[in-house]
Amino acid sequence: MHIPDGLLSLPIILTLWIIAAAVIILGFFKMGKVFEKEDSDRLIPYIGVLGAVIFAFQFVNYPVPGGTSGHLVGGTVIAVILGPWASVILILMILIIQSLFGDGGITAIGPNTFNMGVIGGILGFYIVKLLIIALNKTNLGKEIKTTIATGIGSYIAIVFAAFVCGIEIGLSGEIPIDISIAAMTFWHLIIGIGEGIISALIVLFIYKAKPDLITTEESLGVL
Amino acid sequence: MVEWARYKWPIIGIVSIAAVLLIMIAVGFSIGFLSEDPDGLERVIIDAKGEEYLEGLPQAWNPILGWLESDYIAGIIGIVLSVVVMISVFYLVVYLKKRKAS
Repeated sequence: MHIPDGLLSLPIILTLWIIAAAVIILGFFKMGKVFEKEDSDRLIPYIGVLGAVIFAFQFVNYPVPGGTSGHLVGGTVIAVILGPWASVILILMILIIQSLFGDGGITAIGPNTFNMGVIGGILGFYIVKLLIIALNKTNLGKEIKTTIATGIGSYIAIVFAAFVCGIEIGLSGEIPIDISIAAMTFWHLIIGIGEGIISALIVLFIYKAKPDLITTEESLGVL
Repeated sequence: MVEWARYKWPIIGIVSIAAVLLIMIAVGFSIGFLSEDPDGLERVIIDAKGEEYLEGLPQAWNPILGWLESDYIAGIIGIVLSVVVMISVFYLVVYLKKRKAS
């Protein structure tokens, strides 16, 4: 999912940089809610660790049938833990560091932030929220509801991000748009299963180990 | 003065992540748990344009970090950088927020 340098056209890069930058600036204003609680700055070292976890998970590729591989993107799971705005900022910083190691291009940090942070994080968060509203009608515990919603929401968000990435590549003219959309969506329909499972397991683990790290229960509407 | 007790668990967390990453890389590839195959986007590019095209795409940091060939070292440096950058940014946000409030 990490778009390299040289693949997207300049208009596409500029457009996505502008959108990503606008969302990030908005995010810095919005995410203050996480830190409104007294002594909430104790969360910060854990946020750093969460970033390191996602960075590390993005390093390890699991095999996928058909001669490809997948890895966690993590936008939705971060959004479920810290909120959608923090997710975009964390993804941006992870992408900046990854670009140092050649995983994703420097010029493509904006487009990658849009795909993985804005779509994966913000859109993913609201998909999870819709799923939780639906699951609130069941008798499931809040941990299970959040875990199931995160798994499914992560899957939908990553497939949609791949679909949009296919459009970006197609519009850039490097690969015919029908091929880029179909191929990106097809492969991520399979790869996304891993994203969903890993995201769900991370949320379940945090619920068992340190549930107060899940800061979004209220905004997700978990009952 | 840094309150080390306050950061005990985050520090243990970071060391644990680095250790698990190293073990996953070392063991995962040898038992087939991990894959060196191209990821979804790389697969699409290779299928459409060929492997030479993908390898020929420019990598701006190569002249600076080209010496870094070990996945282990890159992983550890990346984890440390992630933690430092993210903690710094979020502390900055809290600092600005508190200054604005006061």
